[in-house]
Amino acid sequence: MIRKARLASQALFLLLFLWLFLQTESKGADQLGYPVKFFLDADPLLALTAILSSRSFLPSMLLAGAVALATVFLGRFFCGWICPLGTLHNLAGAAVRKRRRVVPKGSFRLKYLLLVFLLASSAFTLQITGIFDPLSLLIRSLSLSVYPAFQYGVTSFLDVLSRWPVPGLAPAADWLLGILYKGVLSLRQPAFSQGFLLGILFMGILALNWIERRYWCRYLCPLGALLGILSRRSLLSRSVSEGCDSCGACVPGCEGGCFPQSPDKWRKAECYLCGNCDDACPKNAVSFGFGKKRGAAQLDLGRRRVVAAAAAGVAAVPLLRIGPSGTGQADPRLIRPPGSLEEREFLQRCVKCGECMKVCITGGLQPALTEASLEGLWSPVLVPRVGYCEYRCTLCGQVCPTGAIRRLSPEEKADVKIGLAMIDPGRCLPWAHGIFCIVCEEVCPTPKKAVLLEEVVVKDREGMPVTVKQPRVDLERCIGCGICENRCPVLGKPAIRVLSVGESRSRDNRLLLP
Amino acid sequence: MDRREFLKTAAVAGASLALPGLLLPDGSAAAAEKLDMVVAKGPSPARITRAAVDAFGGMRRFVSRGDVVVIKPNIGWDRTPEYAATTNPEVVGTLVRLCFEAGAKKVKVFDHTVSSPRRAYKQSGIADAAGAAGAELSFVEDRKFREMKIQGETLKSWPLYTEVFEADKIINVPIAKVHGTSILTLGMKNWMGVMGGSRGRIHQRIDPCLVDMARTVRPTLVVLDAVRILVANGPTGGDLSDVRLMNTVAVSQDQVAMDAFGSTLFGLREDALGCVRLGHQAGLGNMRLARQKIRRIQA
Ligand code: SF4
Ligand code: SF4
Repeated sequence: MIRKARLASQALFLLLFLWLFLQTESKGADQLGYPVKFFLDADPLLALTAILSSRSFLPSMLLAGAVALATVFLGRFFCGWICPLGTLHNLAGAAVRKRRRVVPKGSFRLKYLLLVFLLASSAFTLQITGIFDPLSLLIRSLSLSVYPAFQYGVTSFLDVLSRWPVPGLAPAADWLLGILYKGVLSLRQPAFSQGFLLGILFMGILALNWIERRYWCRYLCPLGALLGILSRRSLLSRSVSEGCDSCGACVPGCEGGCFPQSPDKWRKAECYLCGNCDDACPKNAVSFGFGKKRGAAQLDLGRRRVVAAAAAGVAAVPLLRIGPSGTGQADPRLIRPPGSLEEREFLQRCVKCGECMKVCITGGLQPALTEASLEGLWSPVLVPRVGYCEYRCTLCGQVCPTGAIRRLSPEEKADVKIGLAMIDPGRCLPWAHGIFCIVCEEVCPTPKKAVLLEEVVVKDREGMPVTVKQPRVDLERCIGCGICENRCPVLGKPAIRVLSVGESRSRDNRLLLP
Repeated sequence: MDRREFLKTAAVAGASLALPGLLLPDGSAAAAEKLDMVVAKGPSPARITRAAVDAFGGMRRFVSRGDVVVIKPNIGWDRTPEYAATTNPEVVGTLVRLCFEAGAKKVKVFDHTVSSPRRAYKQSGIADAAGAAGAELSFVEDRKFREMKIQGETLKSWPLYTEVFEADKIINVPIAKVHGTSILTLGMKNWMGVMGGSRGRIHQRIDPCLVDMARTVRPTLVVLDAVRILVANGPTGGDLSDVRLMNTVAVSQDQVAMDAFGSTLFGLREDALGCVRLGHQAGLGNMRLARQKIRRIQA
């Protein structure tokens, strides 16, 4: 009974999650119309660490508080009944027939130690929780890797099919593509610089189910650890009647690895309320309900381990920050999306969930590798050659769950500079080669063009005069959107390039006097 | 579409240009027969569009029952209509209606945008207006471009959008605005929207390339949207003080004449644009407006 209800709930929330994921895409209006960051908003771990690391409250995280509170009463229902990553683990685990149980005893403590580590580091302003947080991890992996691969796979498969010399195949493929483009596929093939790496990581995490059922949830998930601690005295609980003779029939089905066969060693903090033991018990001795007797093993992590994890968390703060970009010189390629907070504050908030990269209408937002030190791994960077910042779009600020990218109105956005374009006269066609071009001026979106044209007469190779228009960037008007670099017909290395200098969010990374 | 097929379509398109004069469906068209252009002025974009087409002989003269019509507006940018960077949505919507009234089976509207297509379609108002009129709106898809032979002087071949050539009739609906290279962007420049590949390179020899495109795509009708024109900071605009309200729509079959007429709206000579002069020389059309029968109406 419980199990059936749980499966239904899991299916429902997984579908909701995937639906919201697909809706994290511009439909042309400047609002998405769906609360696409709903799951992130409901995540108590992200809320807690973001509040710690940014030293400010985030109003959008009331929902997370509600989930935390509910956990205090109901236990880890989130893990068993809601979490989409947990559900994917269930699905991946269902494919495994035989497991080789090689997990050392006591491994379940790992996740608590990881939690301590993350809490300690965020208390000292480092925000790397999103690397491990299950929802952030899932959205990032889907956005930057699984979904792009899915789209590429489907479209190229159908493309290959449609080229087979079989009558009817081409129109059928065409028809199917037409339908898929309506709701499932993205208009533009998404492409991310670290898609492969993130995909391997994600598949590895799912593959852990081969070693142990819900390996990630049992041993690694820091959100699970937090919810476990919160659930230790929950009212909704499992209880076992006298009839239990510790036959062990419930053990293989237990998702949390809670020691369900033993009424006093049962680890309440590990229980996802999956209900499998209730189903499996031949004596019908298991029941779930409110106010039951709550005999359960204490959560013993070991003081030394906790102290060591906390110390490691504190030590990680300087260690991750000693990249060259930590020295105060902004990386020229570190173009942050419009509305981004000043870099220090930005990093204290950004959880690298990938929502902004998923929603970016041009695909220009890419995960950073080293541009922002290791601390900023997978945080969003605009790479103009891949995609520019659309002048009137404000979507990234709308989907950012922690306010690392502020929500801007289109009017506010028009005044935000994210960088500055400069022309390379050694490559620019009119400057270096006396050839007509000015694509940069054509596409520049500022109401008064930030690219100025100057008509000059140069000589061609026969010495004959030709009139060309040479572009020049107005440093005050340029907002650094990057469409000029994106569209510059000088391939290889474009003749106009946008760098982060001039960004409004920084006091120092500026060229001009204010 | 292979080359032979393409040439065939081009030939058919060419022939259909010559036909209307012979196959006049009703009396009103007989009077219109000799007209080269109609220019309509008035406060309602929908009304002047309809009036201009009617005065030119009515849509039935150009679109036959069962036709698949492509209407090609300029949806290049993510701007709302008042900025005059994209074709007026009411003009487009009215043309769609006129085509259906003339018996068209299907009316397709699309453009290869410069801004993100979703935003450009939506924000320009064209998606809504054309959609409400029953048109089939689609985003341009990479796989529907095919490398095609062009009998041009500069362009010998280019990836072009197949749907344009598969249609029975093509209506070009540019908006009039300024441009850094070609001075203005009008009808011939609007064909850049059916080009794929790395089309930014066209700017290097813009005028001959535009003429080559005009040679390749022969529209059944050109409808110039000059309801609002953009007089500076084009083709993207973004500043209302650069927009002039002209309340004008013009209809012709002659691409060269239309662009010549468009130039005059900006206070330029009819032969101010390089592509107009080259097109005239190449015999693609007639830029001498004084020698044409142009009817001006108020609606
Ligand atoms: S970077 Fe620019 S285009 Fe991309 S989502 Fe943000 S505002 Fe939109
Ligand atoms: S980055 Fe380029 S296109 Fe964007 S505002 Fe600056 S000059 Fe214009």
